[in-house]
Amino acid sequence: MVFCQLGGGCELPLISIPPDLTFIVLAAVTIIGSIMALQAKELIYGAVALAVSFIGIAGFFVFLDAPYLAMLQIAIYVGAIVVLILFTIMLVRREATDELTDRPERGEGAVGVWLAGLIAVAISGVAALAGPNLPAEPQPASLPISDLGPTLALQYPIPLIILALLMSAALLGAMALAKLEK
Amino acid sequence: MLGIGLYGLSVKKNAIRILFAIEIIVNAANLNFAAFTRYMNPPQVSGQVIVFYSIAAAAMEAAVGLALILVAFRLNSTIDVRRLNKLKG
Repeated sequence: MVFCQLGGGCELPLISIPPDLTFIVLAAVTIIGSIMALQAKELIYGAVALAVSFIGIAGFFVFLDAPYLAMLQIAIYVGAIVVLILFTIMLVRREATDELTDRPERGEGAVGVWLAGLIAVAISGVAALAGPNLPAEPQPASLPISDLGPTLALQYPIPLIILALLMSAALLGAMALAKLEK
Repeated sequence: MLGIGLYGLSVKKNAIRILFAIEIIVNAANLNFAAFTRYMNPPQVSGQVIVFYSIAAAAMEAAVGLALILVAFRLNSTIDVRRLNKLKG
């Protein structure tokens, strides 16, 4: 479980909560799902593995007292993005099944693995250094979902509006792109 | 997960795989936000708000990216980024 540190926040529950089966299972599901998503032979299997990984992240959100985020994660990532990806895979099916062309060339594969390992070691090192300074016990009071709405609308109204504009722009752009003629 | 995503970004040639890698990186960042905001003292929801924005932005990014892939496929009948080099001088 070297990659355990890469999940982000992995080290925190391990310190605060004595060996926790939930956490280990979630981390394994997430990590294996994301590796499978990139390495599966068929692109469709990759998309399904990506969905599994997203569900693992949703589990982490529940674990971190953020049930609303877990719901969003399932609804948007698993429900929308993965379905969108599946549709695209089907539309470009002829190319998508031609996975023989997707093997990394020798030098590039090594560079990728080295990059991933370097990042893993760096993050683990920072986590190990910061470990003693972290609050050992999380605050017992969990955050009520009802706090999220006022914070969103009152404390950060401008980002919300920008997000809405960005969303319409992205929708229009995606539709315009998809209708583009030769 | 960030490492896995970077590996995918740097190695894979299929454009859809690259999109997978981007999504994985965004998820790693979201998880970090949620984890650190949980361990704030006193607990705050601002991290969750950021994750909310991030999820929305990632969803739009995926939609636009997939539309781009569709267009690239229609114009070039390939999604192999090694062969999408028309702009190369």
